[in-house]
Amino acid sequence: MSTIAAQVAVFLGAPLLAAFLSLATRQARLLHGLNLATMTGLVVSEIALIQQVLAHGPLTALWGLVYIDALSAFILLIITFIGLSCSLYTWAYLDDYVARGVIAPGRLSRFFFLFHVFLFAMITATMANNLGVLWVAIEGTTLATTFLIAFFRKREGLEAGWKYLILCSVGIALALFGTVLTYYSSVRVLGDESEALNVTKLLEVAGQLDPHVLKLAFIFLLVGYGTKIGLVPMHTWLPEAYSEAPAPVTAMLAGVLETVAVYAVLRSKAIVDQALPPEFSGNLLMVFGFVSFAMAALFILIQHNYKRLFAYSSIEHMGLAMMGFGVGGSVGTFGGLFHLLNHALAKSLAFFSAGNVHRRFTTCEIGDVQGLAAAQPVTAVAMLVAGLALVGMPPFSTFTSEVLVVTALATQDFTSDTFHAGRFFSITVADEVRSLSVVAVFLLFAVALFGGFTYRLAAMVWGTPPEHVPRGEAWDVGHVPLIVTSLALVGLGVMLPDPIKALLDRAVGVLLVR
Amino acid sequence: MSLLSQQLGSQMVNLGSALLLLTCFAIVAQRRLTACVDMFAVQSVLLAATAALVAFLTGIHHIYIAAALTVVIKAVLIPRILKQVVERLNVTRELVMNVNIPASLLICGGLVMLAFFITQPIIPLGFLLTRDSLAISLAIILIGFFTMIARKKAVTQVIGFLVMENGLFLGATSAAYGMPLIVEIGVFFDVLVGALIIGIYTHRLQDAFDSVDTTKLTTLKE
Repeated sequence: MSTIAAQVAVFLGAPLLAAFLSLATRQARLLHGLNLATMTGLVVSEIALIQQVLAHGPLTALWGLVYIDALSAFILLIITFIGLSCSLYTWAYLDDYVARGVIAPGRLSRFFFLFHVFLFAMITATMANNLGVLWVAIEGTTLATTFLIAFFRKREGLEAGWKYLILCSVGIALALFGTVLTYYSSVRVLGDESEALNVTKLLEVAGQLDPHVLKLAFIFLLVGYGTKIGLVPMHTWLPEAYSEAPAPVTAMLAGVLETVAVYAVLRSKAIVDQALPPEFSGNLLMVFGFVSFAMAALFILIQHNYKRLFAYSSIEHMGLAMMGFGVGGSVGTFGGLFHLLNHALAKSLAFFSAGNVHRRFTTCEIGDVQGLAAAQPVTAVAMLVAGLALVGMPPFSTFTSEVLVVTALATQDFTSDTFHAGRFFSITVADEVRSLSVVAVFLLFAVALFGGFTYRLAAMVWGTPPEHVPRGEAWDVGHVPLIVTSLALVGLGVMLPDPIKALLDRAVGVLLVR
Repeated sequence: MSLLSQQLGSQMVNLGSALLLLTCFAIVAQRRLTACVDMFAVQSVLLAATAALVAFLTGIHHIYIAAALTVVIKAVLIPRILKQVVERLNVTRELVMNVNIPASLLICGGLVMLAFFITQPIIPLGFLLTRDSLAISLAIILIGFFTMIARKKAVTQVIGFLVMENGLFLGATSAAYGMPLIVEIGVFFDVLVGALIIGIYTHRLQDAFDSVDTTKLTTLKE
């Protein structure tokens, strides 16, 4: 057991220590080294942790405050790996801006302080056994990232940061009410106040909790955490924050923070599903997911700013994952979880390359960017890979997970109707028509999205660059994550490594009603 | 505890919650920003008193800690931060509103009814002592939410958010006799840091936009 305690100590201690050490120095090289060392340490302990979880099942540590099962281990996988590639990219990105005088060298330590606090809050959220601590940590991510979003201190950045702070704080306050209601229902069964919000305890007694209270609680939790995920109609802060924040921060927000917020919803769903029929939470996720997917697909068609384009694509992909979880079943849930990983990879790649383009062309307008292939060949390839992965083209792994979700959609059985299926054949037919029509509408939006996305990308990549833009791209450390992430997207699309597959299977088991 | 004293205690808790609701209406009806901040401080004191009463009547001691934290953070520290912001920014009044005061008060009345309507099915499950406070707490949350939408100045929006937090705290105390202590402390920490950040932020907004009127934040559009 002591090894687990040590691992947990690394996970929680390393980012916190790094945060305060960052404040102590102003040497850029030292700060980047510290960041990289922290992230490498986290990745190593994550690999050890996955082995532990696969071998021994769920773990608890720190007197029951920490609870790690396959689902949290999977989310931690996304946090640590995307985090590591982000720190490599940050090195090149910030060095460039400091060299150009956009960022004063003295402000780097504050950037890293906030970055590590942000990381710490996300890891705490994922590891917390207590739903209340989960809430505190997710609110902590909001507080840590506002100043990161407004890091350039431009008017637009301040505006985006303010909207983010206010909207997410309000949303998250609603989630706290949901948490209070969950506690209200469980304390009546458990009586023990200090443990009545613990996931381990809640799962034991979930069947006895009052369904009325849980229904209300889940609605508040979904709307609250849904604001952080960026589900329509609570998404309005998202395109602004994503287009104004520094590129590595956006990559973390889009790839990792959204995933952590989804994790909060999934945790609540796993508990609520024990007491209520799974259709209740499933249908809610389905509706929010589909509306987000469809609205984002339409907004993508009218975007003329490539960062906002990627931001709306985030909303769309989260909607897609939500639909997967909403349909449920082993296929839908597996697809949804796998899609979280693929989206995190593709979206961080997209924002890394968008950051490179922005630094070279000094504009976010798609119309002003041309000839990327000539100006920045490596970035152009990365952007093409990210774009094609985001529209779900093979051989990228997003294709696999999207197909899984669509398959789940097409084969979904409406439990209430299959009850009649034996007696009324006509209803069974109508069912199939219904689920197929859902898929048809879904694919229609997917086609619109594909068209809009590839059209915009092609316009940026081909052609001749404007006169003032220098040609060619010098090699730096920031290119490593571009190449590795692209390879990972292809690799996961061709073959899913056994440990990840085993982890995903276990995580699906956590989410399905036993 | 005898039935009589329990009924009396229940009445006292209800009285405290009702007074809290009343201060919400006072905040909605107030134009002067410093008066809004003062009303928020009064509300926090009332909240702490109600929580302390619940702690006394139930004998659950950790609610005292939460009540004390409420006084220190929400009745003293945060109002002080907000008043500094108001003074420095030289904005004293909310002149133009999205919804005028009489209409706001009517809407808030409707929100109270809505809150009672939503919580109707789950109220009978609650503890006898604090049964009706859950509905009132939801009403306070909704009114705080409404204040954020209906008012334009950054400071009033922050007060709306803090009123929501107070409603949540009342809900936790009334529905379940307080959350686990670790959660309670975490929430207070978040609220305090949030208020500090907002304080810094309003300064930056003032410097960049020459205003804390959030309707001027319109640079970012589709």
